[in-house]
Amino acid sequence: MTRPTWLPPSCIAVLAVAACGAAGAEESTVDAKADATAETAVDAKVEVGIGLLSGTSADRALFGQHNGLRDRSSVGLLGLDYERRQPETGSLIRFEGIGLLGDTRELDLRWQRQGDWTVRAHYAQWVHRDALDTSAGDELQIERTRLGVRYSKIIGPRWQVAVSLRSENQKGSRLSGVGFSCPSAVAPDCGPTTGTEVGWAVLIRPEPIDANHSQVDARVSYAAGALRLSAGYYGSFYRNRYGSLSPEVPATLFNAAGTPLPLSEGLRSILTQPVALAPDNQAHQIDLTATYGLTPTARVNLKLARGLATQHQDFAAAGLSSAPAGVSNLGGRMDSTLAQLGFSARPWARTAVRAKLRYSDRDDRTPLALYGVEGASQYTNRRLPYTRTTGMLEASYQFSHDIRGTLGMDNEAIDRGRFTPTSAVAGITALRQKTDETSVRAELRKRMNENFSASIALVSSRRDGSNWLRNNSGLGVTEEPDPNDPSTGFSTGVFMPTLADRQRDKVRLQASWQPTDDLALQFSSQNGRDRFDTPSAYGLRKAGMDQATVDASYAYSLRWQFTGYLSYGNETLRQARPGAAVLSLANTSTTLGLGVTGKVSSALHVGGNVAYLDDRSRYRQTLDPAASPAYATLLAATGGLPDIVLRQGTTRLFARYALDKQSDVQLDLIHQRSTWSDWAWSFDGVPFATSDGTTVGQAVRQQVSFVGIRYIYRWQP
Amino acid sequence: MLPAVAAVLLISLCGLQGPAWAMTDAQVSEQCVACHDEDDLPDMRRSAHATTGDTRTPDCVSCHGRSPTHIKKPEGVSQRPLPDIAFSKNGGSSAHVRSSTCLACHDSNPKHMLWAGSAHDGADVACSSCHKIHTNHDAVMAKRSEPEVCYACHKEQRAQMLRPSRHPLPEGKMACSDCHNAHGSAGPKLALFDSTNQTCYGCHAEKRGPFVHEHEPVAEDCASCHSPHGSSVAGLLKARAPILCQGCHTPHLAGDLGALGGQAGVFPPGVPGQVSPAVTANSGGKNVVNMWQGRSCMNCHTQVHGSNNPSTVSPTPGFLFR
Repeated sequence: MTRPTWLPPSCIAVLAVAACGAAGAEESTVDAKADATAETAVDAKVEVGIGLLSGTSADRALFGQHNGLRDRSSVGLLGLDYERRQPETGSLIRFEGIGLLGDTRELDLRWQRQGDWTVRAHYAQWVHRDALDTSAGDELQIERTRLGVRYSKIIGPRWQVAVSLRSENQKGSRLSGVGFSCPSAVAPDCGPTTGTEVGWAVLIRPEPIDANHSQVDARVSYAAGALRLSAGYYGSFYRNRYGSLSPEVPATLFNAAGTPLPLSEGLRSILTQPVALAPDNQAHQIDLTATYGLTPTARVNLKLARGLATQHQDFAAAGLSSAPAGVSNLGGRMDSTLAQLGFSARPWARTAVRAKLRYSDRDDRTPLALYGVEGASQYTNRRLPYTRTTGMLEASYQFSHDIRGTLGMDNEAIDRGRFTPTSAVAGITALRQKTDETSVRAELRKRMNENFSASIALVSSRRDGSNWLRNNSGLGVTEEPDPNDPSTGFSTGVFMPTLADRQRDKVRLQASWQPTDDLALQFSSQNGRDRFDTPSAYGLRKAGMDQATVDASYAYSLRWQFTGYLSYGNETLRQARPGAAVLSLANTSTTLGLGVTGKVSSALHVGGNVAYLDDRSRYRQTLDPAASPAYATLLAATGGLPDIVLRQGTTRLFARYALDKQSDVQLDLIHQRSTWSDWAWSFDGVPFATSDGTTVGQAVRQQVSFVGIRYIYRWQP
Repeated sequence: MLPAVAAVLLISLCGLQGPAWAMTDAQVSEQCVACHDEDDLPDMRRSAHATTGDTRTPDCVSCHGRSPTHIKKPEGVSQRPLPDIAFSKNGGSSAHVRSSTCLACHDSNPKHMLWAGSAHDGADVACSSCHKIHTNHDAVMAKRSEPEVCYACHKEQRAQMLRPSRHPLPEGKMACSDCHNAHGSAGPKLALFDSTNQTCYGCHAEKRGPFVHEHEPVAEDCASCHSPHGSSVAGLLKARAPILCQGCHTPHLAGDLGALGGQAGVFPPGVPGQVSPAVTANSGGKNVVNMWQGRSCMNCHTQVHGSNNPSTVSPTPGFLFR
């Protein structure tokens, strides 16, 4: 189902031209005389060349996700940079173009009289190409075309105004699909797979995209004495040409063993129901931001904002039927409020204090209607109000010129409001209306002096919350004061990690050392542990992260400089499920970067860098004592889930040779090799085939080289 | 007569420009460039601070102070003292003093109004920690080079940005400042807008809703499931489904044990000891393969960001099927 979009970039272009013209007309009469006598300087550069790529589209799947080079074996290289300025008048015109002959290109125009007015216009086009391909030939990519303009004007020493408009068109498709498994409690008339018909299906049906997103920002600012004020409006308008997707479903589908069979009529009626795509929506916000210097060493700041977000897309126009009687659109409405007050001061020479209090509220005022009908059960949509209050207090003391200690405390209280009693929740054990988290932190910092600086920070936080709200498996929820009461069924439940009691501890270390003028070393590490405490022994129990990095830079001479870093990261989580597997995941990631730049001669500059990533995800499963013997047999046969390993090395080299003072020739070489044993779509040569036989994937080994040569010409004063 | 003689003597002693206390800031600045000439200072003619036509343009004194002991080294001092306000990270002025110097002019920029008390302010990050003044090209002001400036401290994000599922920062199509305001904000983690979700909606407005059928953590915080700086899992997910989903949801029983097509005992023939392989001709859609491969839970629950489908026809889209 398609509908017209709104405010295409061409409209923005008209506005841009109008804004430029207005600015120019206003100022040209005022400053024409000054412009005529002022000295003008022009810096300009043009780059033109060609780039060649090796391999096939499959070889470039990872390399070409964002650079528009996935499906190209060659690309023209064209870049422009023109700047004309008059320092005596503050007049400046700058025009920059990047990648003008490729699929990702940018144009930027800046025209200003510094201290008076500025006009900017920006055009950008880029493509996100999914690394995955489907055997059906679907092109999974999103092309974004953006045009934006901004005008700002300084009106005397106290006032300035700014207006910006940005409009973006999005076209393409993203990986999506439909699937259903019969029988189901919510589809009692739909039968299971038998020897004669298929009762479940998973199908790839890419989501079509043709949308426009336009944003407006207008702001007026005021400055007088120690007071700074800014008031603004922000508007967001999203329009989607496609309201729904009606999946095409073949007459026969493969069962789990790969045999084509007719699909059951019940399944067909479910799979062919339209899929709702993203609805049009709009949001508005007004805000007031202020800062005031109470004394030369004490300052307060404030932000107040009110917002309104609505969504009232007409269901029928979007191709969506069977809405509750008398309901033509959701009428979605969210009112939001924000108030933040900050304070920072240095009341004594050695002491600094920071404090912040923040309140935000989202009031869900969406009307309720009976969208849920499961047999005799009927329930409405659910409102999601959300109030978050945070506070922060921090004090620092300067023990000496170089050493400072900081103690801080943070608190976050979230209230998700009363559960909509006419709605239902499914697929979870329990909810929680309120959570409250308090953190304390301490930091000791030694600033750079005598070539060494370091800091250590400890953070410990504890989160708990209100009583759990048990899922009624029907309307509403029931508050359970005693989660250990066996009648709650909580002992085998899974509790959301975003709501569960949690103890979080973190340590951060950082040190910089510059033993000589030529050599600098930097070390940083972070270690964090989460421990979850819930009424059951299942769900996510523990999570952890460790990160350590060493950086070095060395100036061998004025001509040659080297940089490098080695980074190691480890993330772990452990979750358990009743009667099944206890699963632990450990993701380790090692990255290495090396770089060099050098001047071989006064005319020849060379450089390059190497980036290497080794990323491994390990999955370990052990069985819960209550797991079935069939699981034990399967786990023994499979040996568990295989590791997923990604190794990627990228080498970039350049050599730039100065032909004369104005012109260079530059050679760029890029080589990337990747291997990725991701079993999401295929393992050991057996693809994950959807019910119509479609497969999805990318090459396990990818190797691509890029060679580019450019001629660069510069104009300089 | 006497005042005239005194004036002549004073001029003679102090030079034509007079004593330092009598000189204007511009005159003191001229003394700076006597030593810090073109050979000493980098080219900054394209800098906004080189625009003489802007009455707000600073001179040396505006940022470094009048620095009399730096201009004229006191007797008995072996090393020339630093200027009154020195931006050197090694022994220079404090971060607070350095930032205050810049904010003396730049605090009327609305983007800077929440600087005081912000995370960077509290961490002793000064304006000059990220910005370079004496240059034509301040790296942090250009989209393509800005991330490298941020990575100088944010090492974890640099490593994450090498992963295959990420935003296009390495290609120069985005910069850190597209999502963060390093100068202070009312959002978490210096988010550009007032919340994480509001910031994400700046480019992903299709996720804003509100929807008929919401997914609560989606409406609450995109970062509940996504790792915005990069991931080895498609869609910038923190972990792959079903592991991610089963953090909150009670799983479908048939998919409790992770197993894949291609592993022994999954498809026919089974392995010794198995009554039947895990997947047979009559298996339903919640078999181990459909739970662990492909889009996993999203094979069926495709609308995880919310569904605006109002249909009351069973099965209703409350389970985010359609």
